[in-house]
Amino acid sequence: MKESRDALVGVVIVAALLLIGFGTLWLQGVSLTGERVDIEAVFERVGQIQPGSDVKLRGVRIGRVRSVEVEPDGELVRLVLRIDGEVTLPEGAVVVLSPESMFGDWQAEIQPPGVYPAQRFSQPREEGTLPGYSLPDISELTAAADDISENLGILTERVGIAFSDETARNIASLIENVEEVTERLSELVSQQATSFTDVTDEVTRATRSIGQAAEDARISFGRIDDLLAREELGETLDDLAVVSANLRELSGEFRETNTEVRQMAARMDTTFASLSRITSELEAGEGTLGRLLQDPTMAAELESTVIELNLLLADIRENPRRYLRLSIF
Amino acid sequence: MSIEIRDLHKAFGSKEVLRGFSATARDGETLVILGGSGSGKSVTLKHVVGLLDPDRGEVLVDGDRVDSLGQAELYALRRKVGYVFQFAALFDSLTVAENVGMGLQRMKEYTPADRERRVEECLDLVDLEGFGSRMPAELSGGQRKRAGIARAIATEPDYLLYDEPTTGLDPLTRAVIDRLINRMKEELRVTGIVITHDMESAFRVADRFAMIHEGRQQFEGSPEEIRETRDPVVRAFIEGRPELIEEVG
Amino acid sequence: MIWRAGAALKEVDVWLGLTLRQMTKIGVDSVPIALFIAMFTGIVLALQASYTFTGAIPLYFVGVLVGKTMMLELGPVLTGLALAGRVGANISAELGTMKVTEQIDALETMAYPPVAYLVVPRILAGIIMFPIVTALAIGMGIGAGWLTALQLLDMSTYEFMHGLTLFFLPFDVFFAMIKATSFGFMVTSIGCFYGFQTRGGAEGVGRSTTQAVVISSMVILVLDAFWAVTLL
Repeated sequence: MKESRDALVGVVIVAALLLIGFGTLWLQGVSLTGERVDIEAVFERVGQIQPGSDVKLRGVRIGRVRSVEVEPDGELVRLVLRIDGEVTLPEGAVVVLSPESMFGDWQAEIQPPGVYPAQRFSQPREEGTLPGYSLPDISELTAAADDISENLGILTERVGIAFSDETARNIASLIENVEEVTERLSELVSQQATSFTDVTDEVTRATRSIGQAAEDARISFGRIDDLLAREELGETLDDLAVVSANLRELSGEFRETNTEVRQMAARMDTTFASLSRITSELEAGEGTLGRLLQDPTMAAELESTVIELNLLLADIRENPRRYLRLSIF
Repeated sequence: MSIEIRDLHKAFGSKEVLRGFSATARDGETLVILGGSGSGKSVTLKHVVGLLDPDRGEVLVDGDRVDSLGQAELYALRRKVGYVFQFAALFDSLTVAENVGMGLQRMKEYTPADRERRVEECLDLVDLEGFGSRMPAELSGGQRKRAGIARAIATEPDYLLYDEPTTGLDPLTRAVIDRLINRMKEELRVTGIVITHDMESAFRVADRFAMIHEGRQQFEGSPEEIRETRDPVVRAFIEGRPELIEEVG
Repeated sequence: MIWRAGAALKEVDVWLGLTLRQMTKIGVDSVPIALFIAMFTGIVLALQASYTFTGAIPLYFVGVLVGKTMMLELGPVLTGLALAGRVGANISAELGTMKVTEQIDALETMAYPPVAYLVVPRILAGIIMFPIVTALAIGMGIGAGWLTALQLLDMSTYEFMHGLTLFFLPFDVFFAMIKATSFGFMVTSIGCFYGFQTRGGAEGVGRSTTQAVVISSMVILVLDAFWAVTLL
């Protein structure tokens, strides 16, 4: 009886040792049957891969990652993959590390070349070692998204600054200038200038320059969308200033030179048509600037200005005598 | 060949059990130490084999001071001393024969065959032939005591210490045990110390008496002397008359 | 006492034969209760894991949870606690009884060093057999978890094994064995200590047995945390 109990101790110990030994080997994925071969691959980074991770070929598990070691020079990480010796690897095979699920378990996939751009793969220095590439980790993607949102934030802030008080003031003053021009024109006409007979070249030049100014303004407004990104708003506003300066100059010349009004009126018509189109576009909210300028008061001012101008021009055309009477007579 | 107990002091915590007890067991004699329950008789006996170390005083066995011995010397001494425990203290998990043979296992001069023979002899001596394969739980109180004696004598000791050998036994078995104690003395020439409060048994085995009272020696002398002593404490004890002490007190 | 046990180790002839006997008592006789506990633990782990993992988490995580939990925590600790009750109580009751019936004194008078005779075999048997029993319990727990997954959870063997092997490290086994060894050492040492401390008859034996079990259980949990802090 005593012997049989002693034997039982032996049986229990042996059973437990076998369990520990074989269990550990098996869970590590060491195969006790079949030939195994080791292949190596190098990577710049390896994500969450670790010894024991699956090695797959076309989705089928053919082995395990045996070791993960940083190269002595610290430049690359070398993986030893122990795979089934009977599997034939594709020509020019590469190894891609990727998350197997979203819970941190990674796998090493042996792939034919060409699925991912070749330049992403770490190139081994010696023959026989496969090039490797590790897909970005979820954390890396998150970091990238973070980066993008930060940039967007900065951008928004800059746009906010660009369209702050100063810009608004500039645009308002531009509108004022236009108004002023209109007023002066009205004033001039209502002063019933005495002589329109001497139509000088200067007048022609003046009207041309008003057209030019209007064209400038249109181009300027049109360019604002592009300019926004390049922070050239200042330049745009300068352009606007030029437009208004031209307009002011024109009105000054107008007063001095007594041009051929009909002709002038025709030219003014096209000029202001341009302006009108620009402002209506702005009002309709077309283009980034348009949308940003959706401030109702500003738009209303612009609109009323343009309407007044149009009314004035129409009146001049319809009743030139009413305005030119004194000068003719 | 003697055991000398000199001025033994022992306290457990604040409880002073022995306060200067002395007694001597001479060669070939049986010394009976008398004393009431809890008077320190067992404690005294444990000092003899070094199970306890004295706070003061000394125990000399063959002239060696027990508490000064090293481990090896102490074990050598213990082989010369057989100890019969109050309740035999047999190992429950071992058979009677294994119990008796245990001390022998530690002695290299015994081969397994010698050991077996010696165990038989010892069981014969205590009239337990044929009980070797039994477990201690299967024995009666008297048989256990005898098995305990067999175990104590197995190593052929020069001394035998009996801790209340007859306590809790019927009169007939007590007589058997007393006869056995005397037989050990005569046949094996051992020096014995018996501690007991059983006076009938004490007079049957004693060559000399010593008595512990309040941790000190109250009396030491021959059986004749103890019968004639006028010491009221001793008289009260041996005659079972507590009123004698009260009268003195 | 541990120091004395260390010193008593040199008395090889005394403890060697007894150790095998204690290995039977402490180890082999504890296998059924340990396997019983582990089996039901494995079943419950698998079921609770699948209950928790409904939806987004793939079912093979049942394998991960059963494997990791059995190896790292429940295998060693539940076995340790069960054996603290069984072995710790047994040792302290046995030694306590020997103490109060003067059997330990008797050993001394027969020139047997009680520590070498009684303590060393028990501690050695504990150190050797606790990991053995724990290993069997872990195997049983994982096996039970696997069968549960197969029969009740509609998982395939491949799924379960995939989860089991996914995060497995040889260190897990080492960790379990370290724990079990330390538990074995502490449970047997504490049992011996309280056994030798016993005073005062049957009541004393009962008291020291209770203390041995309570202290062993507490020490197991503290040690468990200690290993988790130092080794993980």
